[in-house]
Amino acid sequence: MKEPYEKPVIQKLKTGMVNKFGSSPAYARKFRKDIEGVPVDELVERFGSPLFVFSEKKLRQKFREVKNAFTLRYPNVEFSWSYKTNYLDAICAVLHQEGETAEVVSEFEYEKARRLGVPGNQIIYNGPYKPYDSLVTAVKEGARINIDHFEEIADLEKVADELGVKPRVGIRLNMDTGIHPQWSRFGFNLESGQALDAVKRIASGGKLELVGLHCHIGTFILDPHAYEVEVKKMVDFSYTVEDQFGFKIEYLDIGGGFPSKNRLKGIYLPPEVAVPSVDEFAERVCSALLSSLRPGDYPKLILESGRAIVDEAGYLITTVHAAKRLPSGLKAYVLDAGVNILFTAFWYKFNVELDREVYGTSEPCVLYGPLCMNIDVVDDLTYLPPLPRGTRLILSPVGAYNVTQWMQFIRYRPAVVLIGENGEVDLIREAEDLTDIVRREKLPERLKLEW
Amino acid sequence: MNLQRLAINDEGFIFDPETGNSYTVNKTGLFIIKFLKEGKSEEEIVKALSEKFDVSEEDARRDLVDFMEQLRLYGLLEGENV
Amino acid sequence: MYRVAVSGINAVDNPGPGVGIAKGLKEGSLEVSVYGLAYDAMEPGIYMKWLFEKSFIMPYPSAGEEAFIERLLYIKSNYGLDAVIPALDAELPLFIKSSSLLESYGVKTFLPTEEQFKLRGKDHLPKIAEKIGVKVPETRIVTSYEELNKALEELGFPVMVKGIFYEAYKAFNISQATSYFNSIVSKWGYPVIVQQVISGEEMNLVGVGDGEGGHLGFLAIKKLWITSLGKTWTAVTVRNDKLFSLAESFVSNFKWRGAFELECMVSGSDVYLIEINPRFPAWVYFAAGVGVNLPERLLKAALGLDPERDWNYPAGKLYVRFTDDLVTDISQFQQVVTTGES
Repeated sequence: MKEPYEKPVIQKLKTGMVNKFGSSPAYARKFRKDIEGVPVDELVERFGSPLFVFSEKKLRQKFREVKNAFTLRYPNVEFSWSYKTNYLDAICAVLHQEGETAEVVSEFEYEKARRLGVPGNQIIYNGPYKPYDSLVTAVKEGARINIDHFEEIADLEKVADELGVKPRVGIRLNMDTGIHPQWSRFGFNLESGQALDAVKRIASGGKLELVGLHCHIGTFILDPHAYEVEVKKMVDFSYTVEDQFGFKIEYLDIGGGFPSKNRLKGIYLPPEVAVPSVDEFAERVCSALLSSLRPGDYPKLILESGRAIVDEAGYLITTVHAAKRLPSGLKAYVLDAGVNILFTAFWYKFNVELDREVYGTSEPCVLYGPLCMNIDVVDDLTYLPPLPRGTRLILSPVGAYNVTQWMQFIRYRPAVVLIGENGEVDLIREAEDLTDIVRREKLPERLKLEW
Repeated sequence: MNLQRLAINDEGFIFDPETGNSYTVNKTGLFIIKFLKEGKSEEEIVKALSEKFDVSEEDARRDLVDFMEQLRLYGLLEGENV
Repeated sequence: MYRVAVSGINAVDNPGPGVGIAKGLKEGSLEVSVYGLAYDAMEPGIYMKWLFEKSFIMPYPSAGEEAFIERLLYIKSNYGLDAVIPALDAELPLFIKSSSLLESYGVKTFLPTEEQFKLRGKDHLPKIAEKIGVKVPETRIVTSYEELNKALEELGFPVMVKGIFYEAYKAFNISQATSYFNSIVSKWGYPVIVQQVISGEEMNLVGVGDGEGGHLGFLAIKKLWITSLGKTWTAVTVRNDKLFSLAESFVSNFKWRGAFELECMVSGSDVYLIEINPRFPAWVYFAAGVGVNLPERLLKAALGLDPERDWNYPAGKLYVRFTDDLVTDISQFQQVVTTGES
C-alpha cells in the first residue's frame, strides 16, 4: 500500500513571516466539488473553462433578503436593478421577475432594458452623459430621468418643447456624508447651494416638473451611518424644495453602494467582520426617513442596489494551466482566467476554493492570468498547497461588474451559465468565437492578402 | 555538498549551522533531501518516490525538478548536477 | 486557577502591551495561568516562560473569523481557557464581533461594543471631542494625493500623518508627508489621517470602563522620554484634574466598556485629545506597579468577579522601561514553527 503523495515543499523561515498558518490557514481551506449541486467537472466538461456560473437561488435569496430588510421598515419602497452591475438578460429577467425596475446609465443600457420588455415607465435613467436623442425617447416613453447637470436641464426643456409635454424629472445631488472620497463629480452639490440653484432654474423655466431627488454617495460603503446622513439631508432638501417652489417630491432615490461580502484590497479585516449586515443599512436608512419625514408623508424610497444583490451569486471556474517558480522562490500559477474577464481583481481579493482535496503544506504563491501582460494578476499573494496542473479553482464572489466590465483583449470571453432553482443548467451567454470579434471589421480591397 | 551540514529533525525542521538559516520541509521534501544527502541520482529518487508514494514517475520527476530548483535558490544545492 | 490568553506579546522595539498585561496578572491576587497569543514564532513573549506558560501562533485576523475562532476553541478544548485579553488594534474588531460566540463557549472577554469601537476611530475624533467637550487638533481625512495636498495647505507644517490602525509620523515638508502617506497606504490602506501638530505636554491616561458609565480606575502619566518610534520609555505619574474629568466624561458619555488609553496634549489650560486607543497601552504595567492593577481588574470584570475601583495612586512615581535578553535553544523555536505552539 503506497502512501498518499504530497508535492515536496521547503520554506525558508523569515522574521515576521513565521506564522504556521499564513494568512489563509490550511485547515480553513475550502474545497468545492459543486456549485448548487452541479459538479464543477460536469460544468467544465459541458461549457469549458474558464466559466462564469450564476446561482439563481442565491440571486433570488439575496434580493429577497435586501428587499425584506427595507420593506419591513418602510411602507413605500422600489428596487431598481442597476444594469451596469450585471446586464445579462437572464440576470436582469430574474430580478425583474422579483419586482425590480431597471436603473440604466446609458442609451445602450436603456435599449437593452427595453428590448428585454421593460416598459419605459419602469426605467430610471441616470448618468452624466445622456445623448439628446435618448432623452427624447426616454421622455416619450415615460422613463424617470435624474438630471446630472445644468446642460441637461436645458436639453430636457428643449425635449419638452419638441414633444409638447411637461417631463417629470428628478435631480441628482452630491453631498458630504462623511464618506471619502466624496463623489462630487455627479449631480449638483448640496452644501454649496448648487442644488438649490438647479431647482430655481427648473422652476423658472417652467417646462419641467421636479418630482424626485437622487443621490449616490459612493461604492462599497462600509459605514451605515453615511446613509443616515444622506437620507436626512435629502429629506431636508426635499422640504425646502416643496415649501419654496411648490413642487411635490414623490421619490427619494438614495442610490446603491451597499457592499457585498467581498474582500476589498486595502481593508485589513475579513469581510465577515468589516461588512455590516443589510439590516444595519436598512435600519439606518428607514429610521432616518421615519424620524425626519413629516407625519403622513411617505415619499417612495428607491434603492439601486447592485453589487450587494448579485456579487455573491456569481462564481468563476478557472483551471491551473502551469506552475512555475519565480526567481524570488515564490510559486506562481498561470490560470486560464485573468484580469481580462475579472476586472474586479483590481480591487478584490477573492475567495479561492479548490475543486479537489490537495494534500500538502500551504506555500505562498501568486496567481497569474493568461495575458501576456505584467498587470495580469488575479491574486498577488495567497497560500495554497502545491497544485497539480489541471486543478480547478473556484473564485467568488464575482457576480458584480465582471460580466459588464470584462474585455475581449487577446482572448475570447468565456461562457456564462445560470443554475436554476431546480438544478437545471442554462447557458445564458455563449462563449465567444472569432465571428463575434470580426463581424464589424472591414478590410479595404487593396489590403487583401494573397498568401 | 551543502546538504550534508544541515541538521534535520523528523518533524521537518531544518537548521543550517553554517548560515544560521532555518527551513521547514514537508514529508516528501524530507524524503528527497535524505536521498540527495546519500548522493542518489535524480532517476533513483524519482523511482523511490513513485515506489513509496501514490504518484506517477512523470509527476514525481516534475516535482523533483521544481524542488531542487528551490534548494538551489536557497543555496542548499550547488551547480547543475548533484 | 484561571486560564487567560493575552495577545500583543511582541516585546520588541515597538512593543505590544501583552508582556505588561501578563506582569500585572501575575502580580495580582488571582491565581492565573497566562497563555500568549502570537502572530510570529519570533515574538519574544513566547520565550518568556516565567510569564507565559504556553504560547500559540494565531492565524492572522485577516484570514477570517472562522479560522480565528477555531484556533481559540482549540486552545480552550486542549488546555482550558477562561478569558482572553486582546491587546492589538487589528484583532479587536474580530474579538468584538465574536465576543458573544466566545462567551457561549465559556471564553470571557471585556470589550467595548462595536458601536463604541467604531466611534473612537481616528476619523471620528472630532465628533467625540464635540460630545465630551474637549479640543482636538485640526484633522483631515484623506484618500488621495489631491486631498493630501489640500490638507497640507490648510494645516501647514509640521503635520502628523497617521494610519487608520497604526503608525504616526511627523512630516516637515511635502515630500516627507507624501512618502509617509504612501507607506501607510501600502500597509494599512485608506483613509489616512492628517493632523495639526499641537505643542505642549504629552500626557496619557489608561483606564478601564465598566460599561455602565463608571470605571475601574485611571492612571495618568507624563511621558519623559519617548523612542524614535514614539514609544514611551520613561514616564512619571501625574494627577491632573482636567485630564481626569476628560476621562470621566468619556467613560460616562459613551458607557465605555473595557480598556482604553487617551493620548492627550496639555497646553496651558487647554487639553487636546489626540487619540483614543481601545485597549491597554504598552506601558500598562505602570498602573499595576503603583497599585492600580488594571489588567487584573479587567480580568475580574470579564470573569464576573467584583473588581477593585480605588485609584488613589501618588504622583511622582517613575516608570523605567529597559531591554533585557535571554538565551535558549533553537529547539524552542523549532517547536513553535512545526507545531504552532510551545
